Order: sequence, then C-alpha cells, then structure tokens
Amino acid sequence: MEKVGIVGYNQVKLYSDANYGRYEMIFEAVRGALDSAGLKKKDISTVVSATNDYYDGRTISNALTVEVGGGYLADESKVEMDGAYAVLYGLMRILSGNHKLAVVWGGSMASCFPYHSARLYETDPTWERPLAYVNDITSAGFQMRAYMERYGVTLEDIAKIAVKNRKNAAQNPLALSEAQNTSITVNDVLKSEVYADPVTELMVAEPCDGVAALLLAPEKQALKITDNPVWITGVGYNQETYYLGDRDLSISKSMELAGKMAFNAAGIKNPRNEIDVAELFASYAHEELMFTEALEFAEKGKGVSLNTEINGDLPINPSGGALGGNPPCATGLIRIIEAAKQLKGEADAYQVKNANKAIASGQIGMCAQSNIIYVLEGGN
Amino acid sequence: MCLYYPFLLKLFKIYIKNNELELEVFKIINTTNHNINHYKIYKYNKIKNMTEKIIVANKGPVRAEFAFWVGRYMDKFFDVLENKRIIGNKCPKCGDVFVPPRKICGKCNIKIDFEKSWVDLPDTGILKNYTITYYKVNDRASRKVKKPQIVGMIQIDGSNTSIVYRLLDLEPEDVKIGMKLKIQWEEKPKGDPSDIKGFIKI
Repeated sequence: MEKVGIVGYNQVKLYSDANYGRYEMIFEAVRGALDSAGLKKKDISTVVSATNDYYDGRTISNALTVEVGGGYLADESKVEMDGAYAVLYGLMRILSGNHKLAVVWGGSMASCFPYHSARLYETDPTWERPLAYVNDITSAGFQMRAYMERYGVTLEDIAKIAVKNRKNAAQNPLALSEAQNTSITVNDVLKSEVYADPVTELMVAEPCDGVAALLLAPEKQALKITDNPVWITGVGYNQETYYLGDRDLSISKSMELAGKMAFNAAGIKNPRNEIDVAELFASYAHEELMFTEALEFAEKGKGVSLNTEINGDLPINPSGGALGGNPPCATGLIRIIEAAKQLKGEADAYQVKNANKAIASGQIGMCAQSNIIYVLEGGN
Repeated sequence: MCLYYPFLLKLFKIYIKNNELELEVFKIINTTNHNINHYKIYKYNKIKNMTEKIIVANKGPVRAEFAFWVGRYMDKFFDVLENKRIIGNKCPKCGDVFVPPRKICGKCNIKIDFEKSWVDLPDTGILKNYTITYYKVNDRASRKVKKPQIVGMIQIDGSNTSIVYRLLDLEPEDVKIGMKLKIQWEEKPKGDPSDIKGFIKI
C-alpha cells in the first residue's frame, strides 16, 4: 500500500459529563490538530467526520458540525461508525490523489443519553428489538462466557486486563478520570457491580464525552508539513454476520482476517516480532485477550500469558485503551492517535521504549462485529 | 430567559449545597418529561462554583414511529408461531437451518426459496450460552431490576442458529451450558416474538 502520513492530531480530555458544549469540544479537537501541524483553515482540502445520528439526537448529525469541524464551504462528509472507519475514508480520499490534507474527526457526548439502552436500537426491529434482551452489555456477557467456556480462561485472567488498562490510564492525562486508578486490584474488578454476568462494571469501557481529530496527507505533502510524520502503511478490515445466534462468539474471526489483510498490506511477515506496541479498541476487558489471540500474538486461550504491560514483551494499550474512556465514535480514532504518539515518543509517562512499528484498531457493532486495524510506522 | 421556549412544560431548579457552599442550578426545559430521570443522576460534585446550566430535555415535537413490515419469510414464521409451533428454513447449498427463517444464506450468498426449504422444528432446544443481567435492557435509564433476568442463547433442535430468550423458573446457579430446554408458550399468542414467553428446563 502507498503510505499516507499522519501530520497532526489532537484529543480533548475525556469526561463522564463534560462541562462544555459539544461544538466547543469539536472545535477544540480540530483546531488543536491544525495548530499542532502549524496549518490553517485554507489548508484543509477535505473533512471526514464520525458521528452518529442516534447518539447526537438528530438526523444528519454532521449538518450542524460543519463550521466547528473545519468544513465551512469545504468538501465534507460523514461516516456513521467508529472514528477509525472515518480514517479509512480519509485515507481513501488522500489515496485518490485529489487531496492534500484530510481532517478526520469523530466523537460524541454519551452523557446526553442513556447509551446502553440506545444500543438496543442496533438489533433487528422485527425480531430481537421488541423482546429487548440484547444490547451491548448482555451481548458482551454472552461473548465473555463463550470465550471463557471454550478456552478455560478464568475471571481473574480477564480482571487482570482491566487492572492493567486502568493503571495505564492513570498515566494518561487525557483519560477519563473515573477510569484512572493506580491502586486497583483484581479483586476490585471482580467485586464491582455485575452488569451482565460474567461482565462486571470495571471490565466495561465506560461511554463518556470526547472528541478527537487527525490530519492525513499524501507522502510528499506530509514531508512538507512536518519532519517526522507517522506513516499509515497498512489497513485491514472485516465484518462478521449480524445475528448473535449465527456467530461463534468465542473467537474474533473478523479481527483475525482484518489483521491478516493489514499485515499483508504493510509487508509484515512476523507480526509478533515486528510490532512494538498495540492500541486495540476493546470495549470490554475480555475482548483485548480475544483480539491478542486473533492477531496471533498468543495462542488461543493463552492471551493472558503474554506480558502486555508498558515495559512488557508486547505492550498493549499503554494509554489505557478504551477502558480509559470510550467516547462513542472517537475511541478507535483515539487508538490511532495514541499509537502515533508512541511512535513519535510523545507518550511521556506511558511511553514504550524503541517503538518503531505499531498497530491500532477500531470496532463497531455488538461483540465487535466489525474490526478495522491499521499498521503505523515512525521515522522517514 | 426560558420564556423563549414555547414548549416549556416544566422548570426544575435543583440546589446542591455542601460545606464549600457549592451551588448548581439546573433549568430543565422539557418538551415531554421522559428524560428527566437521566438528569437527576447528574454528577453534582464536579462543579466548584455557582453555575447555571440550561438543559433542553427534548423528545422532539414530532413523533416518528416506525412500522416495519417483517417480510414474507417472517410473516410465515409469526403465523406458525401463533399456533405454538416453530419452523425454520434450510439453505439449499450448505444445509444450515435458520430460526427465524432467512431470505438468503449469508455464508453461501444465495436465496432460500420461499416455496420450498421450510423445516418443521420441535419446541425444544439446547442452551448454548447465557448471561444474567440486573438491568432492564429496554429501559430508558437502564434501571436496575430486583430479580435478575437470565437470558440464554438457545439452539432449537434441528437448527444451526441460536435465538435469545429468557430462561424461566431457574435459579442462576442451576443454569448449565448444554442443558435441554423447552419453550414456555404465552397463553394467548399474538403472532409476534413475545409468543415465546421463555424457555424452561426439561
């Protein structure tokens, strides 16, 4: 794949209930990204946003975000998925050869509506929705149980992931303060409130308020803007079937296939040895283990044996990942930004040593129905 | 300033005081009152100064309710369901049996014929997976329920897919993956998904 440069990015601090309005938040993210690259409004050639009509409480939710998102009298359109898919669209706009700078932003304010209830609206209106047994939380309960039953993974194994990510989030100043915890223990996670057995409160990536923005440019242009862009060298994405009852919930087949596609595009032969750091959008602690195994970083059911701490064998989610705050439509985009920070050595307290190649993923749907994964490389 | 809003129905002022004399005032301008609960659980402790927040809790002046036709395949399924029976349909290529029936097999990407391909199935099945939830999934504020619901994924015998229903008359500790279950029918079926009240142990 022809490489595309990430020339700037910005993420606002995540809040469970932000004390400022949605538009200020979008403006702060997008303007901040432009400022980080020393660019102006006139430099923007295309804008891609990621918002959701249902989460924003109105139809054509990008119509009102035109000005704050930098899209005033500009080429602008929207992806109604996770922000990582907006990056895919932005990438394609750049690779079309018609654009010099793409602004990609995504986010929402989960404090404005009951998020988990709204997720019921993803289900089939003629079959599952009237019964109201399936939402993101209950389906995660199914997924976690399927994974544990098949591979004999224990609750403690999964709680360890929540502990690691919440401790990592404590090092990340932009993470959700409710998710930051330096003294959390496995027992705290297991004793927290049961959401949908076996999923407990602290295993869930809490929906919150937040917006993030990323700037993409073609290779030549990227080198004009900055001396050290981060390169997107591969992308892969894949999607599983819709009904939960048709799927094998014990594995993430879509992540496995997305990973193969991305590594192939980036010319990576041995991902376990070549990748230095991973930022994976796991909505629940168990998904991180499932993704680790789907990407063949560990054998099936053995994900927990891999040391994924910041100074471990393969650091996963040093920023805290989605467990450090999950603003709908921004989370996957934030994973890409965090991976880019690692490659540029800007991650401060949670910096991974000698990070040259990274992966970052986004997801959408019940039990991570669809996954998208990027390969990022630092240096010129 | 609220007089500008013609839909003003309720005005709430909530004063929160503590030792530091923090104070926050909410004005909730509400076109209906369904969303009020959500704001009552607002986290007060973050605001250090006296502030006023105007929140428009807005269901909207227009009600856009959808009326989906379920389609020919599901129409037939619900007709049969009303007679307390289960049918599925079978992919002519891979042989997978779907409950509820599908127009196409996604894996083979072919159409399943409406005239043939139907399979009569029993009202028994196997528990493939389950979860226990203390929250009302369909509730606007995700409120807690007193008695947990056990929600299972049940594979009807003779089919290759699972359906999601409640398990009835079972305690959480008695639920085991692989257990045999039977449909508990609603006494007066209406030809919709709720005709299956849930599943019971056999």
